[in-house]
Amino acid sequence: VDVKGLPRPLDGDEEPTKVLEAYPLNCHPRYFRLTTHAIPASQSLVSRWHLPLGAVVHPLAESPDGEVPVINFGSAGVIRCRRCRTYINPYATFADAGRKWRCNLCTLLNDVPGEYFCGIDGSGRRYDADQRPELSKGTVEFVAPTEYMVRPPMPPSYFFLIDVSVSAVRSGLLEVVAKTIKSCLDDLPGFPRTQIGFLTFDSTLHFHNFKSSLSQPQMMVVADLDDVFLPLPDDLLVNLVDSRHVVDSFLDSLPNMFQDNVNVESALGPALKAAFMVMSQIGGKLLVFQSTLPSLGVGRLRLRGDDVRAYGTDKEHSLRVPEDPFYKQMAAEFTKNQIAVDIFSFSDKYCDIASLGSLAKYTGGQVYHYPSFQAVTHGDKLKHELSRDLTRETAWESVMRIRCGKGVRFTTYHGHFMLRSTDLLALPAVDSDKAFAMQLSLEETLMTTQTVYFQVALLYTSSSGERRIRVHTAAAPVVTDLGEMYRQADTGAIVSLLSRIAVENSLSDKLDSVRQQLQLKLVRSLKEYRNLYVVQHRIGGRLIYPESLRFLPLYILSICKSLALRGGYADVSLDERCAAGFSMMILPAKKLLNFIYPSLYRVDEVLSMEPDRIGGSLKRLPLTMQCLDTGGLYLLDDGFTFLVWLGRMLPPELVNNILGVSLANFPDLSKVQLRECDNEYSRNFMKILGTLRERDPSYHQLCRVVRQGEQPREGFLLLSNLVEDQMSGTSSYMDWILQIHRQTQS
Amino acid sequence: MSEFLDLELQDGIRMPWNVIPGTKQDAANCVVPVSAIYTPLRPNPAIPVLPYGPLRCRMCRSILNPFCVVDYVAKIWVCPFCFQRNHFPQHYSSISESNLPAELFPQYTTVEFMSTAETGPVVPPVFLFVVDTCMIEEEIDYLKSALAQAIELLPDQSLVGFITFGTYVQVHELGFGLLPKSYVFKGTKEVTKDQILEQMCFFAGKTKPTTGVIAGSRDGLSAESISRFLLPASECEFVLNSIIEELQKDPWPVSADQRASRCTGTALSVAASLLGVCVPGSGARIMAFIGGPSTEGPGSIVSKSLSEPIRSHKDLDKGSAPLYTKAVKFYEEISKQLVHQGHVLDFFACALDQVGVAEMKVAVERTGGIVVLAESFGHSVFKESLQRIFQSSDNDLGLSFNGIFEINCSKDVKIQGIIGPCTSLEKKSPLSSDTVVGQGSTSAWKMCGLDRKTSICLVFDIAKKDGPDAISQSTSNQFYFQFLTYYQHHEGQMRLRATTLSRRWVAGSGGVQDLIDGFDQEAAAAVMARLVSFKMEAEADFDPIRWLDRALISMCSKFGDYQKETPSSFSLSPRLSIFPQFMFNLRRSQFVQVFNNSPDETAYFRMMLNRENVANAVVMIQPSLISYSFQSGPEPVLLDVTAIAADRILLLDSYFTIVIFHGITIAQWRKAGYQDQQGHEAFAQLLKAPREETDSIIKERFPVPRLVVCDQYGSQARFLLAKLNPSVTYNSDNPPPPGGDVIFTDDVSFEVFMDHLQRLAVQ
Ligand SMILES: [Zn+2]
Ligand SMILES: [Zn+2]
Repeated sequence: VDVKGLPRPLDGDEEPTKVLEAYPLNCHPRYFRLTTHAIPASQSLVSRWHLPLGAVVHPLAESPDGEVPVINFGSAGVIRCRRCRTYINPYATFADAGRKWRCNLCTLLNDVPGEYFCGIDGSGRRYDADQRPELSKGTVEFVAPTEYMVRPPMPPSYFFLIDVSVSAVRSGLLEVVAKTIKSCLDDLPGFPRTQIGFLTFDSTLHFHNFKSSLSQPQMMVVADLDDVFLPLPDDLLVNLVDSRHVVDSFLDSLPNMFQDNVNVESALGPALKAAFMVMSQIGGKLLVFQSTLPSLGVGRLRLRGDDVRAYGTDKEHSLRVPEDPFYKQMAAEFTKNQIAVDIFSFSDKYCDIASLGSLAKYTGGQVYHYPSFQAVTHGDKLKHELSRDLTRETAWESVMRIRCGKGVRFTTYHGHFMLRSTDLLALPAVDSDKAFAMQLSLEETLMTTQTVYFQVALLYTSSSGERRIRVHTAAAPVVTDLGEMYRQADTGAIVSLLSRIAVENSLSDKLDSVRQQLQLKLVRSLKEYRNLYVVQHRIGGRLIYPESLRFLPLYILSICKSLALRGGYADVSLDERCAAGFSMMILPAKKLLNFIYPSLYRVDEVLSMEPDRIGGSLKRLPLTMQCLDTGGLYLLDDGFTFLVWLGRMLPPELVNNILGVSLANFPDLSKVQLRECDNEYSRNFMKILGTLRERDPSYHQLCRVVRQGEQPREGFLLLSNLVEDQMSGTSSYMDWILQIHRQTQS
Repeated sequence: MSEFLDLELQDGIRMPWNVIPGTKQDAANCVVPVSAIYTPLRPNPAIPVLPYGPLRCRMCRSILNPFCVVDYVAKIWVCPFCFQRNHFPQHYSSISESNLPAELFPQYTTVEFMSTAETGPVVPPVFLFVVDTCMIEEEIDYLKSALAQAIELLPDQSLVGFITFGTYVQVHELGFGLLPKSYVFKGTKEVTKDQILEQMCFFAGKTKPTTGVIAGSRDGLSAESISRFLLPASECEFVLNSIIEELQKDPWPVSADQRASRCTGTALSVAASLLGVCVPGSGARIMAFIGGPSTEGPGSIVSKSLSEPIRSHKDLDKGSAPLYTKAVKFYEEISKQLVHQGHVLDFFACALDQVGVAEMKVAVERTGGIVVLAESFGHSVFKESLQRIFQSSDNDLGLSFNGIFEINCSKDVKIQGIIGPCTSLEKKSPLSSDTVVGQGSTSAWKMCGLDRKTSICLVFDIAKKDGPDAISQSTSNQFYFQFLTYYQHHEGQMRLRATTLSRRWVAGSGGVQDLIDGFDQEAAAAVMARLVSFKMEAEADFDPIRWLDRALISMCSKFGDYQKETPSSFSLSPRLSIFPQFMFNLRRSQFVQVFNNSPDETAYFRMMLNRENVANAVVMIQPSLISYSFQSGPEPVLLDVTAIAADRILLLDSYFTIVIFHGITIAQWRKAGYQDQQGHEAFAQLLKAPREETDSIIKERFPVPRLVVCDQYGSQARFLLAKLNPSVTYNSDNPPPPGGDVIFTDDVSFEVFMDHLQRLAVQ
């Protein structure tokens, strides 16, 4: 086998848009994609499909073609099936001269309300179908009447919980946080109803009174950690417009307020309880800025850290799950009260992301990890990501349910949410950066229908205060042929689902077993495929795989080598491993694929080009050392980090131009800050970074520079990401293929 | 009479018996106890301030004084209390008959020592404001402006702290500077000193000492951590003003059928602990501004439900005030803590209803605090009183701190106790009597707070038994008393004031006339008022009327002139002649007739009685009445309903209230505005005269009295009528003269009272 000839996903994710050719009424695959767009008709077929059967849902994916149509049914009410509650959709059929409609999911014949009546043509199509998006488009949004509310729609509310113990002060964190929040105040969604509040804490809790009649905020310290209480009934979470001058004054003072703080303690648990008490009436987003291991009060965490002796034993996984049930219980309370938690973690030491992250995991939140945060280095990253978090369009107090036609059922869900009943996902807040995955199973041994329908419904409150239902509908054929399943397979969806399952398995199993299970699935699947075709194609000893899954072996190898799952004790710090795991649980397919198989570019050759031509000239390279020329300048982008690799033979003046300093005078590259310098190379280089960042605004890549041969940084930052190469105990891509091949033969 | 006032001027003391019944039996027969009302810091420019420390008797620790016998040759002085012979030290070696130290001058029976070597450096006083916020906006606004004014008047170097409370307690960190910051404590929970240390981050960044008492900068606390909460007034004026300016009503909602949740007890306990942590042993006062009853946490006096009224005297009598005993106990604990720390609690209660002065009395009185009771923070009684505390003027209070009061007496005299603003230090000595009145079982008392007016009542016990042997044992017929007051002067330095007295004693039946000659009936009335108040509080089932009547009858039997069984022959020496009238009015006074007032008012009246001097006490017992008319200049008139006339203005001073009462004709003229017209200058002058008199009374009095200006037959006239002798009532046989008045009462008049008294005295 030729290494060069091995398939590589250098174009990234391949969205299965061709599904739309066969099913033009389906929603776009950016919202909903199945791991294979062919539903097996029988249980036996399912058992021969060794890959996961399921879907990836990205309900609020940003669409390039503009707005989702919004429909208000007015007095007719939202048209839904009386029995299975499916929303009217393009696959519904009309009968009885338009007076009835048949539910495509459960086949019940429903009455059409008088206000919604319209005649039908000979083919059963309503005359107004083209004017009605809900009858012609796979993705629509309904305005929900009061029956869909248990209370008036909540205003968007943002509550900040900020650890101000000594490390937060010294790292410069407070200043970045304060400035960033202040710069976002005009752009927070929901004007003029937006609510805001802050609680700072160290060994005590500091509440802040933002009453609009005050000229400046008032700080109120509560130190009784065993019996937390609110010092005020109101004015801790206030309307931003009314109290804007008080909030501004607070943010201006925040960095100075604690500049002399020498407190090393952090009472996160009591602070969370306090935040809960403040927010429980309204709900909203809770942004937690944690700089050290929680050390006081309920939820205090042990410095259990990483333990080399645990690896390979039955106890290994316990390092990656919360030790104290407090965090999960707290998360349940938060979700019940429509509070979503985002964790921003900054510690330079172990801070138990496993425990902290569970707050985000069960509340539809997100984990941001900035190990060893220093404002000069990480400030920009934090600023962009916090701004994104605060200003992106957010859906509030939402629930999501995915209905499917008779015979199939979603069984397990993977992502950040709380499962409220067997199939209802509670999402206190959700936004365009969150995707979910789920597994499907057959309820009957034999499917009798030709088509299975799926309908994703997200009921939420918009920032403007409207209750809305976003509905994505899709149809998929039922097949009896395993080969068709392979043909319709969607690698992006499969990898999304597989990686989520793998990360979850790592919470109950050894990393090594998780990786073996992945490998086993791959081998079984390829073996099944081989068995299917070996006779008719007489392929003998060759490794064969379906075209649709040509990148799957490499992606699975990449999952095994990802931050979350690679190696063992010394390979990734425990907190980073957990943080990566939390990220992988929410990433949409495209970003996930780029995270596990990052983009590598050679940039020195394009730096002297015309600025306009540069973007088009950047070519992704396979992730192997072999691609790296010692005379080149390379850039690795995994969506979270930019790694700039300086070949040993790179001309020094180019290095100087880009770094703005001479390497000779500045030997410690870990402290280099890349800024635009007054020369063409630098300008172009920064432009490249800017272009790549613009492609995906959801995260901001932290830029790090490493020189060829600079150990151990090179190994840690770059080499471990060259997933095609063999590294300490892992296989190279070639070896991997040979191994898989061998195993499919046996 | 005037010789008693001269003695008071010199030594600040008045005694009912200036010639002392010399034996236990004699003293018992005299009914009014051997006692003294002493004003330790009574200002007198003639008192020398000596820039050195005192010489002490090496046996009894009493101080060298004019009554010591001195042997100038041998350089020896003999202590008049224990007869110990003491050598003068080296620095007194030049002493001779013609070269005396000031403390031996015969006229310097009271001297003051101020020696920095002995008493340490000047320490600034601490003022910790504790401010209730459960009030309507209007009251808050009044309080804000009063506080802002007070803060302006604070001496620059004094330290200030600020606490607000309602449902919760907020301790403001005045030293934070950047923006208002406070520590919040739950109102329902008691906070210990350790919790204060811990929760208010006194050890932030440092390790807490594992052993030893942690308090003050001398014992483990850094000066920086203390100065977060207690700052020199000059440094925190801006912060303090901005806090006061933004002071808000307690934000927690209160339903219409509920009282606000107000945790006065917890707030005071936090304040006490904060002072205990930061400045133990140095002069400090908690100034509490209270707008209603405590309903939350320890020390509550009533439940939140408005359907439950605040306890009355009747409830206390019947034992149906469920929270009373518990609350009193709580404030007793606070008073112990404050006394231990040497700190004062002042109480400014301004509300229409009661706030719990009755329960908190113990903490104010034992620490020598000030109490002011008014209906509103906007009332002049409160506003002007508060200003007077800080204003420096001829009439300022001269607030002093951290006092310790000690006595020495001749060995036949023992001390039963003190009724007044102090706490027994439980220092038992041969001087302390077995029977206890007030704060006793000791010869030393703590006076955390004292000022120029603070007057304590010392009750003695004559221990000498009857019989010729006993009398001949003594070498002289003088008793000696020495009162020592150590205190932190309002200017900061520590001082010691020493008063030494000598009084002649007489024994047996031959001394009656001597006793009468030495009897100070005003002092006696003041002592009896304190005693009867004390007994009413301390003794269950005590019948004050019966006790007072019996005392008066015994006095009259013993000291009156009469033929047995002939009431009409009865007469009293001028030394005693007003005493029955004092007792008549005492019986009718707010101190005895408590049911006319709320328990809070009673507590307030008694606290004032217990800290005032004799002259003021007499006004409280028997108000003064002055008449103004065209016929004559201002003249004192009998406190009797017959004093009322249509063309008179009466000025009644009952100490707490001053009433200007216009007879009906005067009132009509005034209404018609004659005083503003030409040709009626005399009338204008007549109207002005009582006003001017009132102003001069108000200037001297603290708390500022309430002024009622009223007209005859007006509704406010009751303030006058209630105090008058009901010689003419609605069921009198003879009607009042035209323009006169009647009183609607069944109380007996003074004439009837005297008839009874004479009848019983001669039996
Ligand atoms: Zn249906
Ligand atoms: Zn002596």
